[in-house]
Amino acid sequence: MKHEHDEAALLSYWLDELDEAAAAEVEEHLFECDECAARLREIVRLGGAIRQTLLDGRIATAVTPAFIGRLKDGGLCLREYRLEPGDSVYCTIAPQDDFVISRLRAPLEGVRQLDLVIDAQGRQHRAAHVPFDAASGEVTFIPPAAALRTLGTETQRMRLIAVTPGAERVIGEYTFNHQPFL
Amino acid sequence: MAYALAVRNPAEPADESTNIDVALARRIMAAAPRRDPEAEADLCRRFAPRIRLFGLKRLRSEAAAADLVQDVLILALQKLRTGAVNEPERIASFLLGIARQMVIDTRRNSGRRERLLDAFALDLEPANQSVDATDTDRLGHCLQALPERERSVLVMTFYDDCAADTLGTQLGISPNNVRVIRHRGLKHLRDCLEAR
Repeated sequence: MKHEHDEAALLSYWLDELDEAAAAEVEEHLFECDECAARLREIVRLGGAIRQTLLDGRIATAVTPAFIGRLKDGGLCLREYRLEPGDSVYCTIAPQDDFVISRLRAPLEGVRQLDLVIDAQGRQHRAAHVPFDAASGEVTFIPPAAALRTLGTETQRMRLIAVTPGAERVIGEYTFNHQPFL
Repeated sequence: MAYALAVRNPAEPADESTNIDVALARRIMAAAPRRDPEAEADLCRRFAPRIRLFGLKRLRSEAAAADLVQDVLILALQKLRTGAVNEPERIASFLLGIARQMVIDTRRNSGRRERLLDAFALDLEPANQSVDATDTDRLGHCLQALPERERSVLVMTFYDDCAADTLGTQLGISPNNVRVIRHRGLKHLRDCLEAR
């Protein structure tokens, strides 16, 4: 038997992206083919591990405002800080918080590439091509909750930079004054 | 109740895995009215992971998928033992047909499982549970090392199995673009996880 279903097709099947006929074809093949079924099980297992890593607060990532809604729908406890460009905020993470959400307001109309620069603990990190929903007028960032819980008093600065070929423009700067939860 | 066979091109050559499945089905049928415990156990062991995967996809629940595995195998063995399978060479399609119908039945009649277990008590092996063998420290490191866009798309995809068209709408990019980013992200993630 030819194993015609590549990883992309298997994942599309899993995520309900295929039409009914294509999904049925993949499904039938998965019942006959141990190899492809094992490949899909591995994808599903890896996906579950990615989800758990997020829930454990082990990674920092930019998400969409709609994704924040999905976290809330899942019953998670979120502490949100919404900042306009130039704003500064005192922030913390409480024991009951699952996530801290940084909502960075910014003029995003017409922006094609957005980079996020974070200055923290004497180091600078630049994340290129940060995903964003331009219509929402904000960039939504989830810092790693597990690391936040171990932080003492510390200041972190974030800058959003609109990138065009040959030019860069800062469209927002934000300051987070973190304090341990008391 | 009739369990429709899934359509499969009979001209399509079977592979070794299919041949093993078919041989086991024939052994179970040939042994009737006696039982062939070894063939039954092998058949269950081979199909349980596939049925579980199907159950997870359709029911999105580990517990419900585990129940489905047991229910499908119980009924399939009962059909094989009584010679109610006309085409053992299509045993995979037969089991898929049962599984599809069971999902419909499960939603329609939540009491079915209890009755089946009462009628056909079997010592089935527990369904192959999902064991998260991924090194979580390593995964966290590798996720963090991904380009921001790939990490974001993977996280937003797998948090609740979000399809590319939904995510693409939220990000202002095409579903195909989401799939490309997703594919690259998985590849880079695996490369990192395997680089020891």
